[in-house]
Parts: sequence; structure tokens; C-alpha cells
Amino acid sequence: MEAEHFKTLGLELSTVEAFLPVATGFAEKSALALGLGEEGALSLTLATEEIFLYLCQTIPAQKIKIRCRGGGYFVQIEFAIPIEDLNLKAFNLTARIDPEDEGDWQDLGLVLASRSVDRLRIWEEKGQGLHLELTKEKVYPAFQDTLPLPVPPLSRFFLRPPEKEEIKSLARLASEYYPSPFLPPFFRFPGKTVDMAAGGDFKTMVAVDAQGHLGGGILWYWRGPKIVACYGPFLFNQPQDSPMAEALLEALLQEIARTQAMGLLCRYPTPQLPLKHFETLGSFTYFPVEQEPQSIRAYYRHLQEDMGSTVWTHSDLKLFLQQTYRRMVLPREIREIRDYGEKRNPYSVLSTRFDRDRNLVTLYPLRPGADARENLGDYLRLLKKEGWRNIFFEMDLFSPWQVEFVPALTENLFSPAFILPNAGNGDVVLFQALES
Amino acid sequence: MWSSFKPWNPDLPLMKAVPLERLVPEYIKNFEAYVPSKPDDVLKKYYGCSRLIRLNNNENPLGPPPGAQAVIRRFPPARAAVYPSGDSFHLREKLADCHGLHPDQFLVGNGANEVITFVIKAFCQQGDNIITADRTFSVYEWVAEFSGSEARLVPLKDFGFDAQAMLEGIDERTKILFLCNPNNPTGSYWSQEELTCFLEKISGRQIVVMDEAYAEFVEKEDYPNGLDLIRQYPNLVVFRTFSKMFALAGLRIGYLAGDPEVVDMIRRTAVVYSVNGVAQEAALAALNDQEHIHRTREMVKRGKQFLIKELTRLGLPHISGEGNFIMIKVPENDSLVYRKMMTRGVMIRTMTGFRFPNYIRVTVADQESLEIFVEALGRCLSPSQND
Repeated sequence: MEAEHFKTLGLELSTVEAFLPVATGFAEKSALALGLGEEGALSLTLATEEIFLYLCQTIPAQKIKIRCRGGGYFVQIEFAIPIEDLNLKAFNLTARIDPEDEGDWQDLGLVLASRSVDRLRIWEEKGQGLHLELTKEKVYPAFQDTLPLPVPPLSRFFLRPPEKEEIKSLARLASEYYPSPFLPPFFRFPGKTVDMAAGGDFKTMVAVDAQGHLGGGILWYWRGPKIVACYGPFLFNQPQDSPMAEALLEALLQEIARTQAMGLLCRYPTPQLPLKHFETLGSFTYFPVEQEPQSIRAYYRHLQEDMGSTVWTHSDLKLFLQQTYRRMVLPREIREIRDYGEKRNPYSVLSTRFDRDRNLVTLYPLRPGADARENLGDYLRLLKKEGWRNIFFEMDLFSPWQVEFVPALTENLFSPAFILPNAGNGDVVLFQALES
Repeated sequence: MWSSFKPWNPDLPLMKAVPLERLVPEYIKNFEAYVPSKPDDVLKKYYGCSRLIRLNNNENPLGPPPGAQAVIRRFPPARAAVYPSGDSFHLREKLADCHGLHPDQFLVGNGANEVITFVIKAFCQQGDNIITADRTFSVYEWVAEFSGSEARLVPLKDFGFDAQAMLEGIDERTKILFLCNPNNPTGSYWSQEELTCFLEKISGRQIVVMDEAYAEFVEKEDYPNGLDLIRQYPNLVVFRTFSKMFALAGLRIGYLAGDPEVVDMIRRTAVVYSVNGVAQEAALAALNDQEHIHRTREMVKRGKQFLIKELTRLGLPHISGEGNFIMIKVPENDSLVYRKMMTRGVMIRTMTGFRFPNYIRVTVADQESLEIFVEALGRCLSPSQND
């Protein structure tokens, strides 16, 4: 990402309520200085207030760092809690739920904070402590009109990265030609799309003719250190047999061919995706807000020669893994975890990542524990009560402790949707909550 | 959703983190280490195959020339305790004899990859750039980038190096132009006329590296011998390897040749004693074994004829140029084809990493291996396999 898009401000203080105005003042002034706008800065300040108070109660009088970072189209507040032996249980979103009193859920600091911002993320960095990150995006105007732009079929075209105005045209045209699940959510906001591209959040390639007509495009971004994900290809008024889609995809592949990417994921494929370049991962059900659910088939392409690896499983997941690996011709040694009555940590801890645009939340395990079933159940109830319809759980099969969550997932009616090879430290299984 | 990735690994033990952010240069942080293939026994276990036919690295299945084989067999174990010649003295003398150059015009390395590193170290510093093709042997690009130099990539034109585009890419920070002749993986080559025309236009301002790893396989009359052009063009540096035609890939030995003053500069960056003793002696024995070269060329010629006929029968487009390899366009993801072929005990090279998605490259080997390859490929690509 380009340096000018990032500005970071920092503050170090103790979790003492008397310092609350310092924390909130820092958040507000920093957010304004980084260009968030008054409304956004207020939301971020409120979320900061909730988190800071929560920390004052949970880990009183501990030194923490608060960082405020501007990233072009967003401002982030990050709480860094440098306590290695922190009791993470308190950082479950559901930590203070009283099963007997659902009304209490309204008062949860972390939940309240999550409502004020676009993203709340909690993660642990071994040896570094815990991080809570609040992200609030700037407000951008949506497209003012919805009239389609005329695009002629292009008999000859060439590919190149788009200019700023062409990025807006790509977003605008794609929004006209394709329904929402197949579009990046930010395409509704051309200014945000341009700012994100300038910040290096994604890359694009477009197909244009000599007159500058935009016939199509493709977009990709890093989903993690080893996986690139793409949207598209988007084709506008091009003939069925146009080679444009394949040319766009091949251009993308050439761009990432000699990077660290091990795979290319297309979770929301357009009908023009050249399937001969891909392998079917599996399907999941997408529940749009106030619309009928739809089944979406996700595709993947290995970018490197697979040399085999070992994955862990629980007996309840083994058949799914065996069948999927056989279908995908992926060489994996599957090792089963076994419970020999050893002592277990009583409390499990989960982390969440919210995608408000898609009404989608993904849970990640932070710690296994004997209460996994109840904890996961609490999460499900809380998330459903908060109106989340698409609930997923990602499990990294590299880590046997993550596999311990399988029975809890099964009992809470999560079902494995597909395996995403090499998406974590090892392969990742994506589970979906069936009754979402 | 769009937040940047934060590394998190719960499986690492608690320890004081090394301040890598401060210690590691930016260009290294952005660089990905090459992950070599796992050993055959491990791959066989994962893929459940009892044999593994290696058609992925353009190795010579005939093995080293008889003289080199004898050296390897006779190498006294006690000699393993003694340092080899630090600068491959005898081998350089023999190379000089063979090619009519002075021994100081040669520099021997631990495979041609090492001499690539020597050259880039000798001429490039941060901010400089090298120019090569986008779809060629990747090591020039990799070494340049992890050395902090920019690799400017010129698209191939009709599957060959585009001289004009390379010339147009030159600026005041351009230090080296890398050519692969014949090109791996397309097999295209520049003729004597094309090469000299290019060198004339460069006019000695930059170093031109000509990688001739597959030179011994080429029989075309207009194919240039770079070693013969060094006197006329002192900015020309030629790479050769013992890994391909002479089948010493396991011993890691290759060399470069150039103008004495140029090689003197490169030698300053070279690691002495990096080439082991048995490799030096085997290379010495292999050099100029015309009978071995003839047998290998005949095998490759027959193999190509067979493959082209079979690939045509299977309806698979292919690119067959010079060298002991053929590139094949497959109707599905090349890495999936790789995995399917591995389950049948045949190892090919995927070409996505060479920026040729949905192509594979196969070594033109002995008849039996090629028959097994064709049989396996046909089955892997049959509709029933894809159900």
C-alpha cells in the first residue's frame, strides 16, 4: 500500500475510567484529522468509549496502546493489549451473556461497539497480546442515476490497468449488468472504489478498444498471505463467444503467477468465469437481505504444484474430508485427533469478522475449550438476534486444536461447505450455519 | 472484510519476537522464497504411486556420459575430506581448450543459478534494473528482485524474445539484458543474425547475458554459439550448464564465459569452493563427449516425433521448439493435470508459474517414459476422469 494513504497516531494509557475522556478525545480528534467526517468520527468515538469501558472493567489498570490509522477510505482504531497471559474468555462477544436473561445482551460493550462501526476484529498475536480493531469507513455518495451506459461489442480489444475514471465506469457498468452477490460491495460507491484501488486494496484489469470503450474487467485482492480472490470477469454487452473473459482471467493469472499466491478463489463467480481454468470447491447458500436465498458454487484454482501435506480431522469430519480431497485430487494425509481424557481448558474463545455489506459474519477459533458447544450456541443466538443471516466458521486443518470444534459445530447445525486449500497455515474448511 | 491481513499463528511457542520489521530490507519482505519440490519418496507416498517418472525438469534419462559415470563410481571416499579446487582450475583449462578462450574467461558455479547470482551481484545495485522476457526461465527475475533490483519484463512476441521491445525498455539504470537461447519453455531461439543485430544496437552499453542451458540440443545451422561472439562483443556473457545435456544436475555445476575484464569483475562476487570435487571431475570427463551428445539428440528427435504425433491424435495444441522439452496446452487447470498425472506416477511441470496458464511442459525422454506419459495424459483428460 502506498505510504501517503496511511497515517498513524498513537496513545498509551491505563485502563482507568478517569482516562475515558482521553481515549475518546483521541479517537474523535484523530478520526477527524484523518478525514473521516463528523458522523463517522462520532460513531468511532462511541465504539471507542464502549471498548475502553469494557477494558476498564475486564482488565483494570493495565497499560494499553491505542492506535488510530487512516487508510484512504477508512479510519481504524486499534487497541493493543500487551498481556501475554490474558484471560481471553472475556473477549468472546458473548462473554457476559446470562442464558436466563436475554435482555442483558443489549448491554454488552463489545456488541454495542460492533454496531457503531463497519468492522470489528479481535485477534491474538502470540507473544504480543490481544488486538481489538474497529474500522469505520468514510461516507461516499452512491451512483446518482442508474441508466446503463452504451457499450458496443468490441471486435478488437486490449488489456491494461484502468485509469481512475475507468475504475468508476467499471464499477458503474458492473452494477448495471450483474446482481449484487457477484459484485464487490464497494462498487456501489465509485469514490470509495477509486480510493481503495489507490490504496492497493485490490487490482483490476480492463478490456478496452482503441476508442476507449470499456468492454469488461476483472478485479482481484489478497484474501490472506497465500490466497488471491477475484470478482468477475465482468463483460458488458459482449458476444457469447467473446474471448474477453478468458483474456482477462489469463492477465490476472500472469500478474499473480510469480507471487506467493498458492491459489485463486472465486467465491462469487459470474457466468462468464472460464471454468476450464478452475476446480469446483463446493456450494454455499447466500441469504440476501429481504430476498430469497440462493445457492452459489465457489471455484478455485491451484497456482502451484501441490506437493501434499498433512491435515488434522475429527472423526465427524473425516468422511467429508476424504470425499472432498478425492474429488479434488489433493494428496493429503488425514490424521484424526483423539480424546484420551486429558485435561481441557474450560473456556473456548472465538473471534469474529463482520461483513456488514453482505450481512455475513465469519467466526474464527482463538482457543478450544470444554464449553465450545455452549459458546458457539451463544454466538449463534446473539448473531441471529443481531440480524445476521449468513454465518460461517473457518477452521484451519493445520491446527489440531481447531479441529476440536467439530462436535460443537455439528451440534449447532453447522455444515461443511467446502475446503479452501492452503488458505491458512494449512487447508481451511468453511462451515455454514444451516439455519441462518 | 477488506481489512489488510494480520499474521496470526497460534501454533508457535511463546517467545520474544525477532524485530524482523526493522531488520529485514523492504525488497526481501516482498519476496517469496522458492519452495522446491519434495523428495520423490515423499511425493510417492502422498500421491499413492509406486513409481515416479520425472518429466518435469528436462533431465536427461540417458544419465551422464560414460566418462563422467566412471569418475563418479571411482571417486575415492577419502577425497571427500579434502577441499576441491576453489576455482575449478582444471575444468576451466579444459573449457578454454575446447572453446579457444583463456581459462580466466570462465567462472564455474554451483549450477547455472549460482552464476546468475554472481552476475547480478557484480553489476546491479538497488535502483538498477535488468530486462528480460515475461515468460522465460524465472531465476533472472527472482534473483534481480531479491537483490533489490527491478526486473523489467518484456512480453514474448510469437513465443520468442522481442528484441525491439527489450531495446525500448532500456534506460540509464539498465545494467543487464537476459536472453534465454533457446528459450525455456517455448523453445524459440534467436539466429546468429538476430543476435548480432541486437548486440550491435546495444553497442556495449549494457551487459547482455545469453543463457545457453539447452545449446547442446540445438542442431539448427543458424543457431549462434555465444562463446564464439565474446571477442567481438566483450559485453556478452554466456551461461552453460552441465545439468541438461550432460545429466549432472544432481552434482550442481554450470559456468559462465565472457571477456576477461568482465569476468574479473564477476569473479569478485563469486563464492569460492562452492563447486564440489566430484562435480568438477565429472564435468571435465563429460565435456565434449560427442557420442553422448549424438545419442541424446537422437533420443530427443525420436521422442519429439512420437509426442507430436500422439498430441495431435489427442487434439492437444503444443509448442515444440529447440531443447529437450515440449509445451502442451491442456483443456483444464494445469495444476489439476499435474495432480492427476502424479496419481499415475508421472511428474510434469505446470506452466502457470511461467505465466502460461493451462499449459504443461514435458521433458522429451526415452520412448518407454513417453508412452507411459501419453497413456496417462489421455486418461487424465478423458471426460470420465472429470466426472
